[in-house]
Amino acid sequence: MAKILIPTALRQFTEQTDSVEVNGSTVGDALQSLTEKFPGIRKNLFNDQGKLRSFVNVYLNDEDIRYLDKDATKLSGGDTISIVPSIAGGSAPVSEAEEITLSSEELARYDRHLILPEVGMEGQLKLKAARIALVGAGGLGAPLGLYLAAAGIGQIGLIDFDTVDVSNLQRQIIHGTRDIGRKKLDSAAEKMQAINPHLKIEKYDVALTSENALDILRDYDMVIDGTDNFPTRYLVNDACVLLKKPNIYGSIFRFEGQATVFAYEDGPCYRCLYPEPPPPGLVPSCAEGGVLGILPGLIGIIQATEAVKMILGKGTTLKGRLLLYDAMNMRFRELKLHRDPACPVCGDHPTVTKLIDYQEFCGLRQPPPVPADGIDAIGLKEKLDRGDDFVLLDVREPYEYQIARIPGSRLIPLGDLPKRLNELNINADTVVHCKSGARSQKAVDLLKQSGFRQVRNMTGGILSWSDKVDPSVPKY
Amino acid sequence: MIEITNEAWQTMVEHAEATYPNECCGAMLGSAVDGKKSVTSAIKLRNAFSGSQDARYELKPEDLLEADRAAREQKLDVIGIFHSHPDCDAYFSETDLKNSCPWYSFVVLSIKGGKFDHANSFLPDWEQTKADKEELIWPKS
Repeated sequence: MAKILIPTALRQFTEQTDSVEVNGSTVGDALQSLTEKFPGIRKNLFNDQGKLRSFVNVYLNDEDIRYLDKDATKLSGGDTISIVPSIAGGSAPVSEAEEITLSSEELARYDRHLILPEVGMEGQLKLKAARIALVGAGGLGAPLGLYLAAAGIGQIGLIDFDTVDVSNLQRQIIHGTRDIGRKKLDSAAEKMQAINPHLKIEKYDVALTSENALDILRDYDMVIDGTDNFPTRYLVNDACVLLKKPNIYGSIFRFEGQATVFAYEDGPCYRCLYPEPPPPGLVPSCAEGGVLGILPGLIGIIQATEAVKMILGKGTTLKGRLLLYDAMNMRFRELKLHRDPACPVCGDHPTVTKLIDYQEFCGLRQPPPVPADGIDAIGLKEKLDRGDDFVLLDVREPYEYQIARIPGSRLIPLGDLPKRLNELNINADTVVHCKSGARSQKAVDLLKQSGFRQVRNMTGGILSWSDKVDPSVPKY
Repeated sequence: MIEITNEAWQTMVEHAEATYPNECCGAMLGSAVDGKKSVTSAIKLRNAFSGSQDARYELKPEDLLEADRAAREQKLDVIGIFHSHPDCDAYFSETDLKNSCPWYSFVVLSIKGGKFDHANSFLPDWEQTKADKEELIWPKS
């Protein structure tokens, strides 16, 4: 005996009863027995050839019989059979997905996917129909681009305006030594196309901004954030919330990485986690703080995995969970995230309803780029050439000093400065530098608070010195 | 003829506007007497389409099963399915037709610039080859 639940629309054929007890050893028998009892229902379930109509799904308890033994699925006592129509649609003309097919070359290429029940032909066609926007072709973008291309994603929009620098190669494995100086877009697209010629790549040689983000991202199903700065992170987040596109997030720093999925279904967004950006300079970038070259590989691949699962509609995503990875101790941890009803973007009463100025939001418009008490590389060179009597204080770490230094500088790492103030003359004309100008600004603030009167920050740091004054000083 | 009450209509429009610029979907619950359908409540359902949802929707059968259960509990019937068309008219597209089911009324809400514009109801045939327009009455406020 099994019980068949009758959907409301069909109760007119079953004398208004909402469930019917039937006999039979298989699902097919049970349905047969139902139509014998109530002949009027037959036309609703079966076509003229006696096959289940295309819109009819039959569930045994909570399982679709298509994934069991179909009609031959065995029944045991107390089973419940449900009849559920499959319904879809949309304003779009019959979707490209329905016309997309796989060539024999593609069938061979994706063989190891096709034999996975969770992917199969249906899943591989979904991957081919998918359109992903990938923001950044750098550390995270490298593994993302390579694996998404290999997996058979149909269309990838690549957004990057940078060129390949030798210091990228320690981690951005999509680029090679011969690509130095090339557009990252061209270098990355070439490698991805070499892996998979079926992939369509749209190249956007721009920085993502409040002006262009909605127009660019609108055409994609999901966005993967592979950027490393706060303004772009907030921009991508807000654009995704406004466009209702999922944002697959990853970030890396030194030996630690994070990944999650934002703005997906009813889950949280980046602003639910971090409503405000950190004060400028507090969190160093990878250029400032360093990063283990292998780290973005792992985090990027986690992002790629989430993208593929979301396209397939299988598995459990990182929605509502922030995955924390600690490479040094090889540990993964998870934090629970919740959508904040008071979130300014995705909350119940959003106050941010269009894209804003993210440089300003992140405090990067003020102070102005060259502070009044600053001196740039050219100014410092002139000062040295004039033979001025002053102290050039380098507040970087000793290992950085070994890589590159400005002649005549004196090294006191920022962390040591408070206890070594007595080594400096409070009245001396002092210029402080670091790698790019962030740490030295902190040192200048500290020195001023301690009574130093003539202290200036060298803007742009030793990187700027190498660019503008002495190219023989190595950049790192 | 299908008539939608104020409470149900509010749920439908609210869901469609909140989901804009993507398509929303849901179930309409009520009762039918002598061909006159009355929708008294609406259930928001999840759009399960895995691609871009700005011009497509898909209902998961298990969600529909859940809606059917809710209807049973309220002693109501699932009368129809609603979905939205962001920034275009409330027509029954070929995609709508090919993935429809003759058991229900299909109400399409046109949402333009994030606001409700107009709506239509359709009755698809058995073979998903055509859908007749059905008279639709919604509360005009």
